[in-house]
Amino acid sequence: MKVLTKLGISTAVAASAFLLFTGCGAEQAAPAKAEAKVVKKEVVKPLVSDKQLSYRNVDLEDETTVVPPKVEYTDAAPGTSKKFKRAYQDAPPMIPHSVVGLVPIKMGNNQCLGCHMPDVAPAVGATPIPTSHFTDFRPKTTVKNGVIYKNGKPIKNTSSEELKNVSIKPMKKLYMGRYNCTQCHAPQAKLNPLVENKFQAQYTDPKGAFKSSWQGDKFMEHIKIPAN
Amino acid sequence: MALTRREFLKSSAAASAAAAIGMQVPSELEAAAGNAEAGWRWDKAACRFCGTGCGIMLATTGEGKDRKIVAVKGDPAAPVNRGLNCIKGYFNAKIMYGADRLTTPLLRVNEKGEFDKHGKFAPVSWKRAFDEMEKHIRKALKASGPEGVAVFASGQYTIMEGYAAQKMMKGGFRSNAIDPNARHCMASAVVGFYQTFGIDEPSGCYDDIELTDTIVTWGSNMAEMHPILWSRVTDRKLSDPDNVKVVNIQTYTHRTCDLGDFNIIFKPQTDLLLWNYLAREIVYNHPEAIDWDFIKKNIIFTAGPVNIGYGMRRKGEKSLTPERPDGSAGKYSAKEMQTIRQEMVHKVSEDEAPALAPYGYKAGDEMHHTPGTLKHWEISFEEYKKSLAPYTLDYVARVAKGDPDESIESFKKKLQDLAALYIEKDRKVVSFWTMGMNQHTRGTWDNTLSYNVHFLLNKQAKPGSGAFSLTGQPSACGTAREVGTFCHRLPADMMVKNPKHRKIVEKKWQIPEGTLNPVGNQHIMKIHRDIEDGVVKFAWVNVCNAYQDSASAKHWIKAARTMDNFIVTSDGYPGISAKVSDLILPSAMIYEKWGAYGNAERRTQHWRQQVLPVGDAMSDTWQWVELSKRFTVDDLWGGYTLRNGKKLPDVRKKAYAMGYKPDTTMFEILFANDRAKSYKIDLNSFPQKGYDNTECLGDERNVVGSDGKVFKGYGFMIHQYLFEEYAWFGRGHGHDLADFVTYHKVRGLKWPVVNGKETAWRFNVKYDPYAAKHAKENGRGSEFAFYGPLAKALPKGTLTGITDKKKTPLPDKAKIFARPYMQPPEIPDAEYDTWLCTGRVLEHWHSGTMTMRVPELYRAVPEALCYMHPKTAEEKGLKQGDLCWIESRRGRVKARVETRGRNRPPRTLVFVPWFDERVFINKVTLDATCPMSKQTDYKKCAVKIYKA
Repeated sequence: MKVLTKLGISTAVAASAFLLFTGCGAEQAAPAKAEAKVVKKEVVKPLVSDKQLSYRNVDLEDETTVVPPKVEYTDAAPGTSKKFKRAYQDAPPMIPHSVVGLVPIKMGNNQCLGCHMPDVAPAVGATPIPTSHFTDFRPKTTVKNGVIYKNGKPIKNTSSEELKNVSIKPMKKLYMGRYNCTQCHAPQAKLNPLVENKFQAQYTDPKGAFKSSWQGDKFMEHIKIPAN
Repeated sequence: MALTRREFLKSSAAASAAAAIGMQVPSELEAAAGNAEAGWRWDKAACRFCGTGCGIMLATTGEGKDRKIVAVKGDPAAPVNRGLNCIKGYFNAKIMYGADRLTTPLLRVNEKGEFDKHGKFAPVSWKRAFDEMEKHIRKALKASGPEGVAVFASGQYTIMEGYAAQKMMKGGFRSNAIDPNARHCMASAVVGFYQTFGIDEPSGCYDDIELTDTIVTWGSNMAEMHPILWSRVTDRKLSDPDNVKVVNIQTYTHRTCDLGDFNIIFKPQTDLLLWNYLAREIVYNHPEAIDWDFIKKNIIFTAGPVNIGYGMRRKGEKSLTPERPDGSAGKYSAKEMQTIRQEMVHKVSEDEAPALAPYGYKAGDEMHHTPGTLKHWEISFEEYKKSLAPYTLDYVARVAKGDPDESIESFKKKLQDLAALYIEKDRKVVSFWTMGMNQHTRGTWDNTLSYNVHFLLNKQAKPGSGAFSLTGQPSACGTAREVGTFCHRLPADMMVKNPKHRKIVEKKWQIPEGTLNPVGNQHIMKIHRDIEDGVVKFAWVNVCNAYQDSASAKHWIKAARTMDNFIVTSDGYPGISAKVSDLILPSAMIYEKWGAYGNAERRTQHWRQQVLPVGDAMSDTWQWVELSKRFTVDDLWGGYTLRNGKKLPDVRKKAYAMGYKPDTTMFEILFANDRAKSYKIDLNSFPQKGYDNTECLGDERNVVGSDGKVFKGYGFMIHQYLFEEYAWFGRGHGHDLADFVTYHKVRGLKWPVVNGKETAWRFNVKYDPYAAKHAKENGRGSEFAFYGPLAKALPKGTLTGITDKKKTPLPDKAKIFARPYMQPPEIPDAEYDTWLCTGRVLEHWHSGTMTMRVPELYRAVPEALCYMHPKTAEEKGLKQGDLCWIESRRGRVKARVETRGRNRPPRTLVFVPWFDERVFINKVTLDATCPMSKQTDYKKCAVKIYKA
């Protein structure tokens, strides 16, 4: 079994054990896989200790040698740092600058808006808050005599399986449901990933790594299920 | 993709290193940008994480096993979240792609390849894995009977997984030792619902947020734990800031408090005082606010025993024996026993004395505890009123003020302002709570106290008003509670101890009458304790991390690693439970299988399998169904004597009479029967058309299965079968679910779904057809009917006990409970001088096995910090970023000091989240539980902090 050799190597380098772990299924070519399926006498050898699994590479009983990393975030002031690529097309961007003194966001005090509102952002080099954040997707709910209304229309179920019931209201002001910026956007510590992640982004927009394309007609794209 | 794996790893390593320092790198991946979404397939799904139950749109691309998730976006059609997700929601895209996904079973072996508890792990075949499981289950059954085989189950099971596990455990093995991590998360809410309404789950729905004027959070950091609901609260508040009020009642200041009109910081456990204060304000000082018409038609007053302990181990249990002169006992140190002794006897404190006076106790009295009981009886309103007498503003403020730096006047004013908001006529109020009120040694009491206040004011089960328990996990409601994967439950609120309920289930499952075990007491902490006592010999961890998430963790790890038992963990990634295990099984993760979850507003949501699982990973449903092939009628259905002496009958003859043979397998009976086979594979129609279905059809990976042959699928639509059979139990009984196919068309429906229509507010005649039916039948002319059937006939008595044993029926009524303030069993003292509270952070889910493997989430919060007040740090000689020890009577761990973080505790408390394997805080926490709900109190124990 191919996996054995891979794991054999992995025991030598504990930190990379997890990298190699996924080895067997994920990317073996199909013919090799079929061959591996031939049932033969299973060779079973002890290879991996529990310490090598996951990222706490210290005995579970031992607390004296466990040291969580010293964590540093950037101290770059807003506007002075390179932006992070979005994780994938239309993923929320992470915060490339220091947030010391800018958070917590409080009622009446959201310092993010000072630079990121679209009318200011280009001048200060900030990522402008996109159209989606100036859109209210929540239909207005009212209740009268036992009937629930959404945008004034009586409804049977809150699920908008009828696409005409999906509510999209452009707003001049920021939609207040998006006031808590830190709900989606976070600063990033200067650390390598604990475990490699094999997700592969595909940007469908030429500027997809840095700009949201989720606006206009795109809001309604693909949401009809079953699609026809 | 033209990149080879090596190139990919190289480029992604470079990319991640670059990203770490904020650079941009060109790569082929990016060069491909600009392509249209050619080949992308979008489908709806539910988020993997919290109990909010947001919808997501998920894009995949690629062929066969190369199909991968490439994007997630908000779903404007999803009523819960309307096009917006939180950071974890968006990163559902990456959770399945951590490089150390488990891809093959791993067994601890010696050099000869034999199972060896002290051996290292070796990759083994599924066949070998099931051979070992079968062997050890047989051994456990022989040694301890059905009580020796246990499952750590989950509020993150899909509905189908939970139902499959439940069938095999309770119907096959006749073991009720299956209990979910949801026990740790909302058991107190459940018992609160049962006691108050006679039926589980909230009366309200999330639309309450848009319809209310007042949001009060109790022991809930909604901003981080239910971020999308908090976004709805924020929108409501900021869209009408003068009218809408937000008040947060917490033991420390956190992000939720940042939106509060005012925040009340209380001493841990004294929320019991605050609720009783509110009730007293209504009853004594604002009797005009009581809606007597509502009360008379719908409510009775009740009381129960108060000397119920704290759900810890009790004297005489095997691991507490023998007791030694040095104060230690069995496997517990003298220090640990200082706290555990409270379980038997507690001396009433000065702080408790006023609250306990109506129950006949005074300061210094010894309260002798009996194990927790659900028993209660009806009392008069006058008795209830008597129970409230002690909760004056002076008493409550003196004991409950949680921030030593706040003045008593300021605290008192906040309490009065809070009472005024609740009492204000025509002001709608929603009280939300999560773990603060549930993870509590009086969690059940706390939950019932919330309904008291709402009932007195007739502000419950109405649009925009109600006490509303927010559930933590994505299917704590949908699976753990509704399917009933608890030791004491069966589907649809039925109970294993009720012979009628067992009969209904036995009939539906087509298993002999008498098969189901009537004794269901192995809740999750009991399973750990039973392993430590040597009773449970086989335990299987499903979709949870039982060895990281349980308090007093050192005991359970030691028991698992050093005693004669066999521990199995099924997971997507290796976490602490996997490390502790003897066998690790690779599970298909969320979007690698068909599934369904049920959220905290009773909304059931389904999704389809989006991609093939990695490696040889297979779903938990498949693992249960394959295990069932290993056991026959004769293997499992003979007679047993349980440890309490109760006999489980030999039901084999009845089984033969039903047409089963001695060697008929549980697979044939429970999973591949004629009913199951009637659910056909139909690849030409919605919803199956175009989607993978590994369990039913196999897949191109050609995984070699449990019999050593390539698994080619069951050949029938097992997901639909499991769902529809489960749904049958609730239909017509107030839990009505729609059919399988409908759920694939809609963004979830809130049960009961009657004639295709969901129910927004339960128990309310205008919105709930069941309430309408009951109200019509009972003829009281009420706008409500609290029709839950549990404990609806009670004896009568006073605060101190039963005086008339005759039971009076109380159909369609809800209950207000007299329940006093009592302290937790461990409070800070001279040596352990600080409260420890644990919990989550926004960016990580539970024990972090998924989210720590998403680089963006990891970098956002790379480690569990010890959040503390700057003055506390200063007093202890600590600086920001220093490593400190956090030590309790049970153990100690190190963490870095954070004095400027999002959590801002008072000087008396520290907060340390539990997601980080390297900051194993549950070695420090205490496994005291609510003695009624058996839910652990993770929110309070006493620690000392010092420099590491």
